[in-house]
Amino acid sequence: MTCEDFQLRLTALSLGELEEPERQDAREHVAACDDCASRMLRDRQLTALLRASAVPAPDEVRAGVLTAVRAEAGRPTTSSSRRPASRRHWVALAAALLAAAAVVAAALLVVPAPDPGSPLSAAWSSYHDRGEDGLGSPTPAQAERLFAVLGPDSRTPDLAQFGLRKAGWEGRDLAGHLAAVAEYRDPKADPKHARVTLMRWRGELPRDTPGPDEGGDLAAYTWGRHTSYWWEVDGVVWCLVGTIDLDRLRQVADHLRGESAGIRPG
Amino acid sequence: MDLEGFEAATVPHMNALYDAALRLAGDAATAQDLTQETYLRALRSFDTFQPGSNARAWLLRIQYNLFCTQYRRRRRMPLVWLDEGDPDPSLDLPSPEPGPEEQTVRKLDRLAVRRAIARLPEDFRVTVTLVDINGLTCSEAATAMGVPRGTILSRLHRARRRLEAMLLPELGRVQADDL
Repeated sequence: MTCEDFQLRLTALSLGELEEPERQDAREHVAACDDCASRMLRDRQLTALLRASAVPAPDEVRAGVLTAVRAEAGRPTTSSSRRPASRRHWVALAAALLAAAAVVAAALLVVPAPDPGSPLSAAWSSYHDRGEDGLGSPTPAQAERLFAVLGPDSRTPDLAQFGLRKAGWEGRDLAGHLAAVAEYRDPKADPKHARVTLMRWRGELPRDTPGPDEGGDLAAYTWGRHTSYWWEVDGVVWCLVGTIDLDRLRQVADHLRGESAGIRPG
Repeated sequence: MDLEGFEAATVPHMNALYDAALRLAGDAATAQDLTQETYLRALRSFDTFQPGSNARAWLLRIQYNLFCTQYRRRRRMPLVWLDEGDPDPSLDLPSPEPGPEEQTVRKLDRLAVRRAIARLPEDFRVTVTLVDINGLTCSEAATAMGVPRGTILSRLHRARRRLEAMLLPELGRVQADDL
């Protein structure tokens, strides 16, 4: 066996998957060749490193899986097309949002059945009543995590061309969906009609969300003073909510949608 | 439904399923979803599982198919779990217990290894995860990924050479008792 032959068989040898008589040939070769003996040692070191890098399932994952499995086992099997994980996610998301009673809660939960007189609308107002410093800046660790999850989409786009000034951004954990939330103000407008919030998270558009129509035009969703636009590009959901005039908000949505699609290949 | 039998056959492999999900999906939340949905799918098709066969390979095959059909599009490279709190070191360190300095070095090594694996192309990364880390045979990995066994061996060979190049400093620190 030559050194080249040995190297081609090294992986199978290390894994114990080299059959006789090649295994015996490899052993004889390595006994007589210092270079290949070094290679085999390095391969074993690599195997040890790889095995030591395994990540065990956290307790909450174990508990979640067992709970889901037991619930599924106790349920009559009528539909094979269910997707419990996704459903669980949205139910959990809705629950978390309700509890938080924050801007994202208002924006998400009014879709698809808004009720301007509902507590959610009040929550939205309450969020905005926190004042100009509703959002701050994320810590470096949060920013790094946001970037890790959302890539370039985590950045706060510059909307100065639309007369909007950045007023803060942060990450919010929405039942496992880490969302980047950015706020803008129009300093020249009446405060009631000066706010824009942009949210992005990795996931799917909630069902019945008014996304783009067949022609690609975005549909607006309006309640009270608030109008929202929703779209999804390459697994990232974008939700733009604002109280500025509709024409300008639509221009912002078109601009952001173009940028969000343009930053990805294909 | 034989829930007891299902749990006995599958729960011991949850660490492997979660680890593979993390390397496939790239973030802890998606990995949790992927792990859970894999178990639910496995439960629904448990009557097709052959008692006595390799449950880990069966589960990883279900998970890989699920990832390819429903999760791959959502994934991008960041792998946020790399920077999350390290799990209990006692779970994957060999005994006897090394000293604090050695533990720190090994923790750094594990992070370096995870980062290096994350930089591999997906086919290589999945193959290394299934075989080198989660202990499937090449034949089992071939079935899971729907490719010939020779392709698995070839991917492993090429992936290992890349990992070697990326991990030279860490390789020098591997102790004799790790081998």
